[in-house]
Amino acid sequence: MSEEPSKRVMRISWGPQHPMSGQIRILVDTDGERVLNIIPDLGFTHRAIEKILENRNVVQGVVPVERMVMVDTANNALAYVRAVEELLGIEPPKRAQYIRVIICEVCRILSHLYGFGLGAESGGGYPAVFLWSTADREPFLDLMERITGTRWSYSFFVPGGVYRDFPDKIKDKFLKTLSYFEKRLETYRRAWFENKIFEARAKNVGVLKPEDAIRLGAAGPSLRSSGVSLDVRKNEPYEAYDEIDFKVVTLPEGDSYARLFARYLEMVESVKIIRQAIENMPSGPYRKSVSPFKRLPKGEAYARVEAARGELGVHIISDGGFKPYRVKITSPTLRNLYVLSQLPKISDILLADLPVIMYSFDPWYLDADR
Amino acid sequence: MYTLNEIIGSLTKFIGNLWQFIFQMCMSLAPVLFIPGLTFILLFVTVVIWFERKYLAHAMLRMGPVYAGRVFGWLQCIADFLKILTKEIIVPSDADKTLYYLAPILLPIVDGLAIAFIPVAPDWVIFRGFGYGLPLFLAIVSLGPLCPLIAGWAANNKYTVIGSLRAAYMCIAAEIPLLLSAAGIAILAGSFDLVDIVEAQSKMWFIIPGFLGALVFFIGILAEAERTPFDISVAEQEIVFGWRTEYSGILFMLTMMAEYISLLAWELLFITLFLGGYKGPVIFGSPFISNIAWVLIKLGILTAIIILLRTVFPRFRLDQAIKIGWRYLIPLAIANIYIAIIIKLFFPFVV
Repeated sequence: MSEEPSKRVMRISWGPQHPMSGQIRILVDTDGERVLNIIPDLGFTHRAIEKILENRNVVQGVVPVERMVMVDTANNALAYVRAVEELLGIEPPKRAQYIRVIICEVCRILSHLYGFGLGAESGGGYPAVFLWSTADREPFLDLMERITGTRWSYSFFVPGGVYRDFPDKIKDKFLKTLSYFEKRLETYRRAWFENKIFEARAKNVGVLKPEDAIRLGAAGPSLRSSGVSLDVRKNEPYEAYDEIDFKVVTLPEGDSYARLFARYLEMVESVKIIRQAIENMPSGPYRKSVSPFKRLPKGEAYARVEAARGELGVHIISDGGFKPYRVKITSPTLRNLYVLSQLPKISDILLADLPVIMYSFDPWYLDADR
Repeated sequence: MYTLNEIIGSLTKFIGNLWQFIFQMCMSLAPVLFIPGLTFILLFVTVVIWFERKYLAHAMLRMGPVYAGRVFGWLQCIADFLKILTKEIIVPSDADKTLYYLAPILLPIVDGLAIAFIPVAPDWVIFRGFGYGLPLFLAIVSLGPLCPLIAGWAANNKYTVIGSLRAAYMCIAAEIPLLLSAAGIAILAGSFDLVDIVEAQSKMWFIIPGFLGALVFFIGILAEAERTPFDISVAEQEIVFGWRTEYSGILFMLTMMAEYISLLAWELLFITLFLGGYKGPVIFGSPFISNIAWVLIKLGILTAIIILLRTVFPRFRLDQAIKIGWRYLIPLAIANIYIAIIIKLFFPFVV
């Protein structure tokens, strides 16, 4: 915590008891409506996930890792599983890689729908768009239930492949859901992104220039909407992403509107990726068995994936026991929160802009706390 | 000595006089008690809150109230009212107690009093205001925005202070256009009396010659009654609940009711000034019932439009709202006055 501000400045505790704050306290220094300082106070949901991982073997470890971001479980699990696979020196079968891509992209859609709904709500008014986007997650959740057995936290990726095979008979239903979803996306564009009041609220608000975005270390769509093309899926392709044709969404503006719109465009790209992955999925085995009752090889491994909120890295150090010696996770929300805390120094922010800016970064505080 | 007949005669006369007196009292109290008085106000608040909840719920793919009351959850507002009566009133320890209690009690009274000037039938008006109904209405209603200022200051909370200051800014930005566009109508009608203004709309509703004024007035209503997209002073996502943050129990309910009563008052004035008030073809039996029915129909349509805005529109920022008030609404309202003068000078046969 920084020192107490002067008398002219009012310090507001924005959260955790606040309708729009989430599980975080943000100290906001204001002079009237003008925001001078943003100080995120983390730790309300710290669950020591990194410590828990030291007491689980690598197969059990998938479950706590998924708890970091509950709307984006697959990407989190994938980062951990890939780190483990690198440590063990195994490569999953081709079919497993395609299944992983499908599930990760569905998770990206689920997460972006949620974040987009919250971003819409942050502009004020009544949260109709939030409930529409929540309703549109349902068909995907049903599909995920058919594939993995659960709707939210799948624990479906295991070191060496995936837990079960992809049922080929739901391919048609999958494709039908995707075309329905594309229609819904058009509705969102007309109802929200072409809404004049929303444009007035979000355009030119919280502008992050490319050099600032790089200097402060923004991650994911927040970085790409500042015009910096950095996507792990493209720059360092993992799984089957190098065999799939998609483009990295970059927008030049760097304001709150661009950050929210970039997520919208990423959903459009995700639909394309899923379609290609379903059509090109090879047949064959879906798992190489990895025994949890074997000692891990001594050494270190690092893997990174492009999660919905940005680059997520997992670093595993093993001392040759059954369990990892140390697991370190780099999460995108923590980096984006740092960008948020530095924003008042590079652009003018009013108190009314704070929720719009905050939810344009799509924060997930459990991800930052871990 | 009086004979029995004389006594009976005088008694009958007395009773007759008394009956006439009571009847007259009742007739003069009827507007106060029924329409547009207490019963109507309470009914309006209940029905509109229920309708808003149900309508918005369906817009958001939800069900809305379903349990209290068999059909469409129509008893839900009454159930909520009874529940909220049992809640404790919590007063913050640093609050200025008198002002804290005063503001939410004053607010519905102020807005309710203004309704007294509205005619719902040619001679069915609680107080005609010596022929100056329009300026008196505006004078009384403009006391209203003082209450958020008092309330926010008295509660001694950071969020309430911000909310009350926002309410004060909004009041300045919204009330001047409202006054100016009402002035245009007074010129068109040639009178400050609301009954005369309605009667002057026999040929044509003033929304046609005073279209700009109606637009300004409609947006002004949204800003004045804290409706979306101008609910800046209670912006939930930014400052919790604005100047109402600390209120609980019945005090909170009073602030809630005041929002809808002020909406009702402004809508009734809008109908009176622009939509021909109680004017309309006699289709409901007697002219009196028709008059009231037309007011209700126009009120219902206007309310539905205002609630519809709440489904899709986000909120304006404070500076944007003030910019709209000063940069667009005031020039439009002044243009409306000039149009009214031109019509009065060169086309007096129109109105």
